[in-house]
Amino acid sequence: MGTTSVDAAESGLAVATAADRPRRRERARRRAAAPRGDGRIALLFLAPALLGFAVFYVYPAIRGAYYSTTDYNLLSPPRGVGMANYTALVHDALFWNALKVTGYYVVLNIVSQTVLALVLAALMFRLTRSVVVRAMLLVPWLVPNVTVGLLFLWLFDADLGLVNHLISAAGLSTHGWFSSTTWAMPTIALTNTWAYTGYTALLLYAGMLQIPGQVYEAAMLDGASELRMFFRLTLPLMRPVLALVLVVSVIGSFQMFDTVAITPTHGGPVNATRVIYYYIYELAFTHFRMGYASAAAMSLVLILGALTLLQMRLLRASRSDLA
Amino acid sequence: MRTRARWTAALIAAVLPLATTACSSGGSGSSNGPVTLTYALWDNNQQPAYQACADAFTAAHPDIHVKITQSAWNQYWQNLTTQMTSGNAPDVFTDHVAYYPQFVKNNQILDITSRVAADKVDLNQYQGGLADLWVKDGKRYGLPKDWDTVAIAYNTGMLKSAHVDPAGLANLTWNPTDGGTFEQLIAKLTVDQKGHNGLDPSFDKNHVKIHGIELIYDDGATGQSTWGNFAVANGFTFLDKNPFGTKYHYSDPALAQTVDWFASLAKKGYAAPYDKASTLGPDAVLNAGRAAMTMTGSWNINTYLGSSATQKFAFAPLPAGPRGRKTFINGLSDAIYTGTKHPDQAWQWVKFLASTSCQDIVASKGVVFPAIKTSSQKALATHQAAGRNVKVFVDEATTPGETFSYPITDHADQITQEVQTDLEGVWLGKSTAADALAKAQKAVDGFMSQP
Amino acid sequence: MARTTTARRWSIGRVLAWAFLGVALVVTIFPFYWMLRTALTPAHELATDNTGLWPAHPTLINFRRVTGATTVAQNQAAGGSGAQLNFLLYLRNSIIYSTLIAAAQTLFCAMAGYAFARLAFRGRDALFGVFVMALMVPPIFTLLPNFALVKSLGWLGSFAGMVAPSMLMTPFAVFFLRQFFLNIPREVEEAATIDGAGRWIQFWRVIIPMSRGPLFTIGLITTVWAWKDYLWPLLVGPNPGTRVLTVGLGIFLQQSPNTAPDWTGLMAGSVLTVIPVGLLMVFFGRRLVESMNFTGIK
Repeated sequence: MGTTSVDAAESGLAVATAADRPRRRERARRRAAAPRGDGRIALLFLAPALLGFAVFYVYPAIRGAYYSTTDYNLLSPPRGVGMANYTALVHDALFWNALKVTGYYVVLNIVSQTVLALVLAALMFRLTRSVVVRAMLLVPWLVPNVTVGLLFLWLFDADLGLVNHLISAAGLSTHGWFSSTTWAMPTIALTNTWAYTGYTALLLYAGMLQIPGQVYEAAMLDGASELRMFFRLTLPLMRPVLALVLVVSVIGSFQMFDTVAITPTHGGPVNATRVIYYYIYELAFTHFRMGYASAAAMSLVLILGALTLLQMRLLRASRSDLA
Repeated sequence: MRTRARWTAALIAAVLPLATTACSSGGSGSSNGPVTLTYALWDNNQQPAYQACADAFTAAHPDIHVKITQSAWNQYWQNLTTQMTSGNAPDVFTDHVAYYPQFVKNNQILDITSRVAADKVDLNQYQGGLADLWVKDGKRYGLPKDWDTVAIAYNTGMLKSAHVDPAGLANLTWNPTDGGTFEQLIAKLTVDQKGHNGLDPSFDKNHVKIHGIELIYDDGATGQSTWGNFAVANGFTFLDKNPFGTKYHYSDPALAQTVDWFASLAKKGYAAPYDKASTLGPDAVLNAGRAAMTMTGSWNINTYLGSSATQKFAFAPLPAGPRGRKTFINGLSDAIYTGTKHPDQAWQWVKFLASTSCQDIVASKGVVFPAIKTSSQKALATHQAAGRNVKVFVDEATTPGETFSYPITDHADQITQEVQTDLEGVWLGKSTAADALAKAQKAVDGFMSQP
Repeated sequence: MARTTTARRWSIGRVLAWAFLGVALVVTIFPFYWMLRTALTPAHELATDNTGLWPAHPTLINFRRVTGATTVAQNQAAGGSGAQLNFLLYLRNSIIYSTLIAAAQTLFCAMAGYAFARLAFRGRDALFGVFVMALMVPPIFTLLPNFALVKSLGWLGSFAGMVAPSMLMTPFAVFFLRQFFLNIPREVEEAATIDGAGRWIQFWRVIIPMSRGPLFTIGLITTVWAWKDYLWPLLVGPNPGTRVLTVGLGIFLQQSPNTAPDWTGLMAGSVLTVIPVGLLMVFFGRRLVESMNFTGIK
């Protein structure tokens, strides 16, 4: 087992040197500035990180790829089954449902969270820069997802929850938020929007801080309104930051797990909230199907990789920075 | 700099022992010296009774302590399987007929055949049929600890104010077409906000104050407390052969009719719909005076007749369906985890749990009916001495032809998830029972064809 | 003239803006109040007393029973299960778990980040590229095999198994610190080189003291992430000896009475998990908020 990981690390290095050539000129320039031949001391500096990387990233990656071609159940030794897991995955309606449901969640969560966070960031940037306000908005992010999930289960309880009380007091019709196929996913998305909007807003605010004040002074002299400045200046100027925050949040929300895990419907009703992460977890840890779960995880990695590449391209295309 | 390097070294040194202690802790207490067994159960109401058993057990075996952990039914199995994959499941745990075949298949529970024989445990002391449930391919995986049947719990005050004679509840009838006298009763006990009951033409089903019946919707693949009993009374059988049949009959129209009737109760305003049902559970709803009846297993006797009940409740037998009155009779056992470090001590504890020494203690607490016939009589006596009338459960269990046993097959975890998910679609009005159950049938056939 | 119109439009806009911000703050903070209000309600009264701003008969019994100050029988009489939240023990475990990860990871990633930013060695940029690629790998992919690895090492149920995968490095921390070190002017180190100090000494004497801010930031963020961690500690260390607060709360939920969640007890437990966060905000609030400006991704 140990040797595999070393081999993997070495092959990683081999790939590295091959890919190195085109950048040689740039490196030569840097080398001129730095003292030469830090190889040995560099190894010392890198040793812990390399060890961690090899053992807990590279090795498991190989291991995971291997498990995905076996019938491993965590209880008895794995037997190879070739591509059978992947073939089964293609025909697994629950897998496709999980992807669909996850996609729906990501859209709901990212749209609501990003729009709200942008508005809040703009308010923090242009209206008040009070640290207290920012600190208060950040509090939900500090609270464990499990606590957040419980709190929202209670607030949105069908029978006794505060939200239904308020709604019925307003004369509207109440819902079993977490137990309705229509509302369960939006409610979970809302839960995580509540938890992460403040954090996202602060990241976007940090991006806004990089915009020089003169830009706004000039615009104000021209009599531009705040709204106009937001759409004409702030938004275009912070597009790279916005794009990066989006990439990070999209990847993050693809991996939503905790909230679904503590919801009593466990991915229900009628699979409405059985997101891909929870489905993989269930396969591995409640149905003893580690091999199949690994195949599902591999597929998720491919999807996320493709998505990230796509987003990075868009990001590069939108590099209309201050410069 | 030196201090920092030393600090790093200290950090690493601090972490390493954590790893090594973890390794060594596994091997401690091998044969002699005090041993602590972990024991898991799901019913918090039974915890005090089994704690008393554990105390008595430790008094008899001073070197063996038992630590009880409880988790609610919804999470219990998920928990247990996760713990098994981690290799740290409880030494002994309460087992259910639906789940044990899966554990046997994955080699997670110990075969106790030879221990039972060596210690000459009398298998005839248990209520008829219970001991046979735990044998697969000639090997025994558990000893019976209790049994249960299902009945109706009702609020006596509400019956009185609706002018219903409680004696008549023993003769209720039911059919899936018009619900029989049982549905009449449910309707009569349902009251809207203006005080009209469900039989009144001016009844407003959208503003109901008291539901006639509170239903449990997430009732697994068998509907043990709800639709399963009625479906069997309507001529349905779960399996071609039980235990260890190979073909489920979910697409049987007798089942679909029953499920449709259950779903119709919410549409008529007689029961809270699935997506507005309280998360606090039927007992809280009944105690809050917001429903008049529910169906419940004998394990919940004290929930309704115990000191915590704020209303006065009583039990009535399930109504008789087209094929007569039918109720699940099921029992639990205790299983020994294969990964236990203390198999001998675990067996001592399991044997104790399955003996009169423990089952008489359980009987004296009056919570569930113990599996041993004499202990069961003692439990009935305990209830009667405390003024709790629980005879209906015993009558159902002992009347020939009124009980049927729980379906036992492989793949129960997948089947439960599938059937429950499909039925959720029916409760939510998204699909008809026939469609949902046809889908369930197809999926379940698929599971059963897996190795 | 133009001025006055702008001013008026401004003031209406300002009122709306403040109103929006005010609503956002209320929506952010009020759920915490509701958590506390529920925790102070007797369990048996919850079915009837769940609307007012303050419970009719406020009680501390829920806090007492979740922290184990009551017996099982008393718990059940108060409407809970036999479950308790061994708060102090789990708090200790959470602190051990998050500080071990944060301290070790910050240190090791600073070393690696420095090597990538400042040292010249064969294959540096390519290796860094591989690290950055790992940023994209979702944790679920390594989670399953890592679990199998930790299991085969016999580290399940130990802090070692819990912290091992994230203690030595995360690609994000390496990336983040490298970016920071790149911006330190080289002259600073060159002065030290003239003094004859080697790389190792330069790193500790020059670079580390200069980078207190970002190091603290990454440490703080790592602490928060580890503090919130649920799935990994749930899988690897669910036993009481290593059970962290989030897992403790999850297990407390599972130990609800068989038929229904113990909402008042759960909310009392939730309040307890929020208290440390509140303290963190009180002591490090400004630091934490301003640290976000760093992560504001350069």
